[in-house]
Amino acid sequence: MTDTTLSMPVQVAPRGRRIRLSVIGDHFVLILGALFMMAPIYMTLTTASHENLTIHREGLQFLFGGELLNNFDAAMFGQGGFSGEITGMSMLKNSLILGMGFALGKIVLSMMAAYAIVYFRLRFATFAFWVIFTTLLLPLEVRIVPSYEVITGLGLANTYTGLIVPLLASATGTFFFRQYFLSIPEELVEAARIDGAGPVKFFIDILVPLSRTMIAAIFIVMFVYGWNQYLWPTLITTDEGLYTLVRGIKQIRQSLAESNQIPAYGQAMALSIIAILPPVLIVVFLQNWFIKGLVESDK
Amino acid sequence: MSMKTLLAATALTSALAVPAFAQTEIEFWHAMGGSLGDTVNQIATDFNASQDEVQITPVFKGTYEEALTSGIAAFRAGEQPNILQVFDAGAATVIGARGAVVPVETLLTDAGADFDIEDYIAGVRYFYADADGTMIGMPFNSSTPVMYYNVEALETAGVTAPVTWEEFQTVTAPALAEAGYIPMTQSHMPWIFTENFFSRHNLQFATANNGYDGTDVTINMDSPELMAHWAAFKSWVDQGYAGFYGAAWGDNATPFEQGEVAMWLGSSGSFGGLQQTADFEFSATYLPYWEGVTSEPTQTFIGGAALFAMSGHSDEENAATAAFFEYLTSPEVQFMWHQQTGYVPVTEAAYELAKSEGHYEEFPAAEIGIQQLQLPAGEWTRGYRMGFYVQIRDVMNREYTRFLQGDVELEDAFATIKTEADELLARFAQTQGG
Amino acid sequence: MKRAAFNHRLLPVALLVPQIAIIAIFFYWPAWTAIQSSFYLEDPFGFGSTFVGTDNYTRLFASSEYLKVAQFTILFTVIITVFALGAALLLAVKADKVLRGARTYRTLLMWVYAIAPPVAGFIGVMLFDQNIGPMTDLFNWLGHDYRLGLNYMDTAFAMTITSIWIQIPVNFIFFLSGLQSIPQSVKEAAMIDNASPTRRFWETTFPLLAPTAFFLLIINITYALFDTFGVIDTIVYGNPASNPMTLVYKVFVDGFRGNDIGGSSAQSVVLMLLVLGLTIFQFRMLERRIHYT
Repeated sequence: MTDTTLSMPVQVAPRGRRIRLSVIGDHFVLILGALFMMAPIYMTLTTASHENLTIHREGLQFLFGGELLNNFDAAMFGQGGFSGEITGMSMLKNSLILGMGFALGKIVLSMMAAYAIVYFRLRFATFAFWVIFTTLLLPLEVRIVPSYEVITGLGLANTYTGLIVPLLASATGTFFFRQYFLSIPEELVEAARIDGAGPVKFFIDILVPLSRTMIAAIFIVMFVYGWNQYLWPTLITTDEGLYTLVRGIKQIRQSLAESNQIPAYGQAMALSIIAILPPVLIVVFLQNWFIKGLVESDK
Repeated sequence: MSMKTLLAATALTSALAVPAFAQTEIEFWHAMGGSLGDTVNQIATDFNASQDEVQITPVFKGTYEEALTSGIAAFRAGEQPNILQVFDAGAATVIGARGAVVPVETLLTDAGADFDIEDYIAGVRYFYADADGTMIGMPFNSSTPVMYYNVEALETAGVTAPVTWEEFQTVTAPALAEAGYIPMTQSHMPWIFTENFFSRHNLQFATANNGYDGTDVTINMDSPELMAHWAAFKSWVDQGYAGFYGAAWGDNATPFEQGEVAMWLGSSGSFGGLQQTADFEFSATYLPYWEGVTSEPTQTFIGGAALFAMSGHSDEENAATAAFFEYLTSPEVQFMWHQQTGYVPVTEAAYELAKSEGHYEEFPAAEIGIQQLQLPAGEWTRGYRMGFYVQIRDVMNREYTRFLQGDVELEDAFATIKTEADELLARFAQTQGG
Repeated sequence: MKRAAFNHRLLPVALLVPQIAIIAIFFYWPAWTAIQSSFYLEDPFGFGSTFVGTDNYTRLFASSEYLKVAQFTILFTVIITVFALGAALLLAVKADKVLRGARTYRTLLMWVYAIAPPVAGFIGVMLFDQNIGPMTDLFNWLGHDYRLGLNYMDTAFAMTITSIWIQIPVNFIFFLSGLQSIPQSVKEAAMIDNASPTRRFWETTFPLLAPTAFFLLIINITYALFDTFGVIDTIVYGNPASNPMTLVYKVFVDGFRGNDIGGSSAQSVVLMLLVLGLTIFQFRMLERRIHYT
């Protein structure tokens, strides 16, 4: 499939009918792709505008109903939990802290590590790289119980630190930055050295600004990853003030699976939309920024 | 239970309560999501308002499995809650680890409360007890499998709800199929069509006294009666006398709620939800039995979960936990729980209260579960205790599904379950260091 | 490694310490615990345990179920990687090419990325539900009796398509950035050298995308192996039964859900070794060939 449809990868200038047909073909493929990507979201939104019972009996809805505001209101401001501290707002805040904290922590740690590995003459650089890189292998789900024991032992249960730090133990960021640093022309560091820049100055004044598009890309990836965590926050927090959005949604999914109570579908759908929005904004905003950065650095 | 609980039930004291001294704070980890969770929170709030010595905080910890594993992880880290809700399939894990919990009987007696196991309704008494009959876990959300039916569907077909499977097979199902219905679905194969098959027919489920007497246990998955039942169920599915939508609870319940299926085997605790989801008149009856197997059908097991008091807490906190348990089992609270959730009341007194309040005149179907739990007991109806039972249920679900889809033969499916389950049981015995 | 490097002793160490420390505490220590536990059968509460040698391992490889899960995992990973990368590349190439509406397409195509796997799984369940799912209706209309949660292939299909769905945008973003960073001069030179658009793509454009493609390959493989957890968990929800699952989910089912610490630790170790081998192999094979521009 890719072979035939990729026939026009670069904008060229042959004349006549062929180009028009191929342009139509391009738009067709893109529209189809956009529909495939968007339809489920659209249905989430339309379904969020119906009553729970309707959704329970009939499933996803294609058209808007009259409950949109009610469901969003319930999702955003309805007080849940024992303390009444669980609202859409508080979950939003916690998800933001988790996403931001994780993404920033990850970027700082992994840029430093990658910098050390790539730009220094270190006897154990390769070893260090592998020590870090092997952690791509084991997701948190698999090592969750020992991690819990460490965090609890350090007295970090029910804290944002306890939520974020164990998630930082993976190699993805370091790996990305290493790849990126390797692709930066070597002349740059030589020129910097001739100018008398030390390693710290080079890092802060040259490498970091140069990497900003990469930082933006990684920020997106990591923010979304942190934002979307479920199992770890469930295990490590007992404080209702620390609930995240994804956890709120899973709770509604659970009542769907386990009992004959009508799950709060409408609210779950509304909560899903709320959970989608901030990362979407970040993706859209940073995407523009980093594509621009790439194009600029090209000139 | 006296003044304290009476006050609690009315929760009038809340406005006046001013703590004169430091309160004892206890934590309660549970797995009750959605509206069940709201009810749990309500009970905790009422309890806190009813007195000023103890402050309980309920914490929702996800699914039953997640709650149990969280509790275990917390115990290993020395941060365990005072109360942990553990579901039926996880009971052996907790009860097996004798140092992890304080038996509820000991807890209550130490706190100076009156404890009499006979206060609890018959089917509930020994399910979370040890071999000597000491109650370890406090039965909390208890339910039992019953058969719901669509009244109009049965009338259309001109039949009544079947008492036996023979009647279902020869009379009820053909008539319902004729009338255009899928006659029956069930929502939980291990619970309804395996565990409670054994209890309903008073058959031995596992060696070593259904597993109560030790960890050297094997499971009776080669029971000819059980295999015959499954052969029959498969033939019903094949000829349109029963529907099968997989192992998931809701997938089998929804077609009943939508009116396509005439009879549904679910939980007595489903009653509250069905009232909202089913827009037709429905009623309930006992789980059918095979006349060919027994002429004296017995009571069923309870499902759901129990509350365990975890060890490693101060006497003061244990006393606070006991106070909460006392409050929880008071007739008023049990009745409120029963009414709001559909789970059965666990004490005789609460059942009497529900009767005297006229609850069952209004909702006769709500009484079926508790009546079924009070049917005559048998040698094998008090419960079962098997380790790694979560995985054993997974194996059952896997092989049953394959069998019903025609992927494997009956004998092979049951042989696989028996082999894998026995292996899991032997492994569990090894985890206990024996 | 760079030839022009700084000579410093303490600074690189200081830069590495935070990352290594976190990894040591939250990765190597748990991994070590897992290796130890894999030789024992242990009471979850930590009261009793029995040394069982390699029993936990031999049992795994004797289990046809485990092998079936392994088989599914490999197939699932290959399909997700191929389709998520293929579709994203196709869309990125088109989006890079069209003049009108490029921005709109770009935005529409990428923002699904932000959806949490459990949320995606939830939408998937609603779409494919046996009783109320519109996709189920569609399949039935096409003559296939679609049964999510009952039929192995049907469930696998829902898992795969949902997993691909949320993975396309991230690939799209990176491919598009890669395409847009190809200098105009290179594109023009290629146009003169090579008339066929297809050949021009594979001979000029694609090699320039190779670094992007390589790291996306790694991301996609790790995604399919590990991060699909949320999708699978939401779709099979508490009923593994005869449904397909990946190796990671199996570790979770046996360890976290079933409290079989020894058995699940052995699975974790197998998983570690498997992916370690795979990573070394792929690194050696690919890194050698790729040119960093």
